[in-house]
Amino acid sequence: MRARLRPALILVAAGVLATAACTAGGGGSTEPAAAPDSSKPVTVTVWSNFADRELGVLKSTLDAYHGKHVNVTIDNQGSQDDDKITQAIRGGNPPDVAISFTTDNIGQFCSQGSWQDLQPYIDRDKVNLDDIPQAVRDYTQFNGKRCSLPMLADVYGLYYNKDLFAAAGISSPPKSTDEMLEDAKKLTVKNPDGSIKVAGFLPQWAFYAYKPQIVAPSFGAQWLDKDGKSGLGKDQGWQDLFGWQKKLVDFYGQDNLQKFTAGLGQEYSADMGFQAGKVAMAIDGEFRTAFIADQVPTLNYGTAPAPTSRPELYGGGYTTGTIIGIPKGAKNPGAAWDLIKYLATDTDALVTLANGLHNVPSTKSSLSSPNLKLGDQFKPFLDIFANKNLASNPASTIGDQYLKFVSDFGTSWENGQVTDLPGGLAKLDKQIDDAKALGGK
Amino acid sequence: MTALLESSPPVTPAVPRRRRNGRRTLDFIAVHSVALALGLMFTLPLVFVFLTAVMSDQQALSSELWPREWHFENFVAVFQKAPMFTYLTNSLVYSVLATAGMLLSSIPAAYALARFRWRGGNLAFMLVIAAMMLPPQVTAVPLYSMWASGHLTGTLWPLIVPYFVGDAFSIFLLRQFFLTIPEDYLDAARMDGCSEFQVLYRVLLPMTKPGIAAAALFTFLYTWNDYFGPLLYVGERQESWTLSVALASFRGMHRTTQWNLTMAATTLVLVPVVVLFLFAQKSFVRGLTFTGIKG
Amino acid sequence: MTATLHSPAREQRTSPAPGKGRGRIRNRNRLWLLVFLSPWAIGLVVFFIYPLLATAYFSLTNYNGLDSANFVGLRNFVYLFTGDEIVRTAAYNTLWLVVVLTVLRVAFSLGVAAVLARVQKGGGLFRVLCYLPSLVPPVAATLTFVFVLNPQIGPVNTLLRHVGIDGPLWFNDPNLSKPALTLLTLWGSGELMIIILAALLDVPKDLYEAAQLDGAGAWTQFRRITLPTIAPVLLFGMVNSIIFALQYFTQAIVAGSVASGSADMVGNSQIIGYPNNSTLTFPVWLYQQGFRAYHMGYASAMAVVLFVVSFAFTALLIRQLRGAAHTEGARS
Repeated sequence: MRARLRPALILVAAGVLATAACTAGGGGSTEPAAAPDSSKPVTVTVWSNFADRELGVLKSTLDAYHGKHVNVTIDNQGSQDDDKITQAIRGGNPPDVAISFTTDNIGQFCSQGSWQDLQPYIDRDKVNLDDIPQAVRDYTQFNGKRCSLPMLADVYGLYYNKDLFAAAGISSPPKSTDEMLEDAKKLTVKNPDGSIKVAGFLPQWAFYAYKPQIVAPSFGAQWLDKDGKSGLGKDQGWQDLFGWQKKLVDFYGQDNLQKFTAGLGQEYSADMGFQAGKVAMAIDGEFRTAFIADQVPTLNYGTAPAPTSRPELYGGGYTTGTIIGIPKGAKNPGAAWDLIKYLATDTDALVTLANGLHNVPSTKSSLSSPNLKLGDQFKPFLDIFANKNLASNPASTIGDQYLKFVSDFGTSWENGQVTDLPGGLAKLDKQIDDAKALGGK
Repeated sequence: MTALLESSPPVTPAVPRRRRNGRRTLDFIAVHSVALALGLMFTLPLVFVFLTAVMSDQQALSSELWPREWHFENFVAVFQKAPMFTYLTNSLVYSVLATAGMLLSSIPAAYALARFRWRGGNLAFMLVIAAMMLPPQVTAVPLYSMWASGHLTGTLWPLIVPYFVGDAFSIFLLRQFFLTIPEDYLDAARMDGCSEFQVLYRVLLPMTKPGIAAAALFTFLYTWNDYFGPLLYVGERQESWTLSVALASFRGMHRTTQWNLTMAATTLVLVPVVVLFLFAQKSFVRGLTFTGIKG
Repeated sequence: MTATLHSPAREQRTSPAPGKGRGRIRNRNRLWLLVFLSPWAIGLVVFFIYPLLATAYFSLTNYNGLDSANFVGLRNFVYLFTGDEIVRTAAYNTLWLVVVLTVLRVAFSLGVAAVLARVQKGGGLFRVLCYLPSLVPPVAATLTFVFVLNPQIGPVNTLLRHVGIDGPLWFNDPNLSKPALTLLTLWGSGELMIIILAALLDVPKDLYEAAQLDGAGAWTQFRRITLPTIAPVLLFGMVNSIIFALQYFTQAIVAGSVASGSADMVGNSQIIGYPNNSTLTFPVWLYQQGFRAYHMGYASAMAVVLFVVSFAFTALLIRQLRGAAHTEGARS
């Protein structure tokens, strides 16, 4: 019996193998799908990583769209991060519209075609992309392929607690990273047992918004060399960044720092360190102003561009943006495009969203709209957005993986496991380039 | 042994009678204080979870151990924050269907392995062991691709279907139970003209009910607790999440929550398992002792 | 007593169909055998043999789950053994768990079982208390421990502070995160305790009595009588623990992600392995590469390595177990 079974087994195995080798096909056509008949009911699924209050803001804008197109019902699902979006595309059950908070994965989205090319739609509907600022136009495409449009932009700057600054006798926010280091030390208050009570600034990777891509612009650190390879080892900025960071970590003591952060509230809760007055300075996105207004309106704080290592860099900062696109395999691409067009280019929609989320509008028309009501603390972010030193991190075919490599490296460096900074950075470059090569044909 | 968790005669300390009684008392005290310490060690973490679950947001961020006020409404808040009923339903669907499928497919297979003599029987049993020991991550890529090509990821089917075609651990366990029934009983039935099917369902199954209950319980528990499978196949789709996936993602999804609600959700997830255990202690123990020993 | 893993042929004491009509019955049996085994046989092909072959094939390709797989030869394996720095850390972490978890889990379970076997008052209650944690779903158990061992607000460090000890960082310290995972695993090893307890209670009492008459002390009795008798069960515990440690995934990925304090979802690439990749086990990195970064070809190469290692352990231990079963059978 065994002998008779064996050929059958191999046949079955071979058959399944053949079908499995080509998964999740379809959706590769370049022809834009027509917008749906306005009399036909259609449901459009929208995925984003918004949660709680922010998801509600998005919903109100989607409701406004529904008011204009009553046949379109929108299924608005929150807490869908990039990983889940990519998984759903692999599985062949993607949403019609995908919204991602960052541009970290756009290289993967565009290069593998997991997000559809929007150019045919843009050409067909003659959408004027000139209304979108150049920097934003750049980060929403990859190698000339436009697979997403911007839906508001994020800009990072310095938040500082004015009461804590006054108590420490500091009159103005730091402009250089050296000043920031001194201020952070002055602002730090310790308990009698030596543990941290109030931290001046938290330099712990991946905790809150302290991430390599967000801090890099403060040191003018560049990601790529001239040939498009990873160039961290050749760039003085990274050595400045890691050197600065280690000084601050050593000041607190790493154990102290870990203990302190372990007892802080969640990043978007009312008890988040800066909002609770336990952290005096933070580099964070402009959207934080909305969280503070909502959760701790009494907090006495100011905002400014992030301090920089060289004076000529001051005024800029890190930018990224929420991107919106149609995943491969979407069931209603035509209806999805119509909604995307509305969310990315309609001035009223963008202004409503910007006011609700406290984000930077991503078209010139909405930026100059008189209806924008964002408050004084928001003003510096608009200036950073307009500054020539505005910087972003490059999209790559390995998505955000290289960011993990960099923060891993940063951790080994602050631990003292890596002592040769330039050598370590050169190894890091090789690690990033090797990982990129792995996905090649 | 069946009542292992309730009470059973202790192995009396090996102290000859002529020794002093005082030594015995000391021994008694020593053993029982160690047992008491162990009992506390095993229980306290769960007590802390519960105590934190009923704290206020602020207190949950302090290092106090005892709730200042008892916020039982935290449990309600968990249901308001997350569609726990959906997750509960999904977990139940996964566990119940998988258990049913396991029984349908694995009982006959276990019977065949325990009671038939055939060339290849040894190999088949080794394959069962190999499949039982295989880390699920080894086969994840092709299986995921297979289900994705059928557009079935995001549903519970990839989790459930494999149980309808035999679960290695259950086959192994059931085989161990079936081997305990003397062949003579089965032969007697065969002499009466029973087919093998009737032998299995009329004779063997009624005699091994405890074993079948144990296999069912283990499958139920394994699927209920499973995280890798649901993460892989339904992670992308929230409506299909099971309780394990939902609980792991609870803090990430509800970014405004503190430890108290996370611990309340944790409590809600572990209560059903504890209740199940209290109802079915004996079967658990019987199954356990059979996985390890008895041939 | 005989041990678990021996072949059915040896147990078949009587032939299945004595008496007349043997040939017919055997044919009939063959049909039933086919009926009984066919669901499992299908399962074996579709969910065991095919995926193993396919994994081997995919390991030689570049495959992202969207485009069809491209043959790239041994490139994935070259990267695995010479290029990927993280996989080295991951392999080390898994090896660490295999060694430490296996030894401690068996020793701890034996210790607890030995205490439980001697309890006279309230034995049932103690057994339930020790067993209960093993039923707690791993995700819930991990959240429990990450909270209980939180350096700042966790009860353990709070209690330590009350007695004047500055508690360690547990899951936030790269040197202590794996020991913390070990504690979590020991806490939930009630199943093994009960299995060992059953074996301990099964040791014939007259053996002890005889030894006492010979004047053997407690330690000698344990070494000469208890240990040899329960050896098969301990070996079973070792196999079980090794396999368990090789596939250690849930606790590691959840603990790392939650302890990082990040608002990102569990398993997010940026926070897995926290702190400092110390909780990044081999299966976690395999999952991350295969199902987050979609280097599915590379993940398959890792799967091949995992398969080879776990298969080697399984085979080795099955052989030992069968050997032990034989000697056991001879003794009793």
